[in-house]
Amino acid sequence: MVYGGDAKLLPNAIVVAVPDDGRLPPPGKSVEIVDQIDKEFVPYVKAIRAGSYVRFPNKDNIAHHVYSFSPAKTFELPLYKGTPAQPVLFDKPGVIKLGCNIHDWMVGYLYVTETPYFGKSGRDGHVDLDDLPAGRYHVRIWHPRMEGTEDATVQRVELREDEPALVEWTLKLHPEYRPLRTPLPGEPGYR
Amino acid sequence: MTGPSSPTTVSYALMWCLCCGLTLLSPRVNAEWGFDATGGFSYDDNLSNSFEADDRKGDTAAVLDVSGGWYEQLTPSTAVSVNVLAHSDTFFHYSGLSNVGVGARAQLRTKLGLGPAVPWLAVAAQGVYHNYHYDYLDGWQYAAGATLGTQLGERWSIRGTIRYDAYVADHSQPPLVPTMVGSPYDVYGWNFGAQAAFLVTTADRVSLSYTWRTGTVTSVTHPDEEIFEYSDRVAVDPVFGAGEFAYRIDANTQTIGIAWSHTLGPHTALNLVYAYRRSQAEYDLGQYYANVLSVNFIYAY
Repeated sequence: MVYGGDAKLLPNAIVVAVPDDGRLPPPGKSVEIVDQIDKEFVPYVKAIRAGSYVRFPNKDNIAHHVYSFSPAKTFELPLYKGTPAQPVLFDKPGVIKLGCNIHDWMVGYLYVTETPYFGKSGRDGHVDLDDLPAGRYHVRIWHPRMEGTEDATVQRVELREDEPALVEWTLKLHPEYRPLRTPLPGEPGYR
Repeated sequence: MTGPSSPTTVSYALMWCLCCGLTLLSPRVNAEWGFDATGGFSYDDNLSNSFEADDRKGDTAAVLDVSGGWYEQLTPSTAVSVNVLAHSDTFFHYSGLSNVGVGARAQLRTKLGLGPAVPWLAVAAQGVYHNYHYDYLDGWQYAAGATLGTQLGERWSIRGTIRYDAYVADHSQPPLVPTMVGSPYDVYGWNFGAQAAFLVTTADRVSLSYTWRTGTVTSVTHPDEEIFEYSDRVAVDPVFGAGEFAYRIDANTQTIGIAWSHTLGPHTALNLVYAYRRSQAEYDLGQYYANVLSVNFIYAY
């Protein structure tokens, strides 16, 4: 369970479980999707495993220009409609912040993790990590607005067969400021 | 109110806007249709632009602005937009100022790099034909200018603007003095402005603006021989009551504004704007000042 400020249930938090023995199944070559709908990235936050590809279909009837300056992956998909022919490979763990150079308020996040054991909290602040083999894990959490580092959130869990384990976090959050979509009256009509 | 009507000019303006609209209908590869509507109320306590207390006239208007057009991304950094504009002011007391305007605006905007924090430059021009209840106020309003702006960090943004504005009335009244020909409502000026905006919360933005304008303005006064000495255009102006005269004079105007914008949803916002306007006429004729308060709701598709 994930809680944010004022103990409210927190969506869009990524929970990651890493086996203490470091043994991970080999990565596949999955292709994930991050849409652009009504000038927003959908989903706002997405977790993928390192080595995955991501397509960025543009479901709007206007062009977008997707980019990221993040050290884990710097890339650009200039001015396109529809779906670019080639997906983008994300092979390094880390956080990738997405933007659109045409619509400055558009922000999205890709969380690239080394482990296949991850999930994202829904509106109920709940994450289920099913099919985890029994064993010892260290679990951590990340959220776009969390204060502090992921390492500070690590909790150790011993998982036994047919015995679910419950882990809770309460995160301190900072506001996310973005350029507003609506212009002030009389502003040049850029949207 | 009496005065010559100008159905030909109105028809011409409507045809021009229709041609713009038909052009907009042709398919564009990276084009987007856009629509904005702003409605609200505005109170100005010195609509007559007068410096004598007895001549100062204030009133409230219901204001509506609608624009629709297309926006095309030419390159990853540069976009062009063309919009048809419609405007109306409905004054509660001084009905001669009530008007409907129809026009068009074109803008070219370019970002000087990649990302939200790079500077951008916009060049725009517009023309709007206003049809007033008082016919001698009918005419074309033009404006053209350039704006340079940038985001500073997450919460601050700034911009600077240079703009030329002009109003050309359709008709002039018979001159009061043979040497004075032309409408006192024909004005023009250069505007130099700056604005800083700050995100107080993720949904609230406060902006502070300053504009300095140099050019001509129209003012209204009771009979005063001095205006005939210093103004090049004078006419009877019944809008603010019998016995009033409108005259044109050179003046420098400073306007300070503060605005608060509250986002209601992804397409809607509520705005509250206060502006203090002070003009210093040449020849030390005097200063006139005004307080303008506006509240409006905006929808941007």
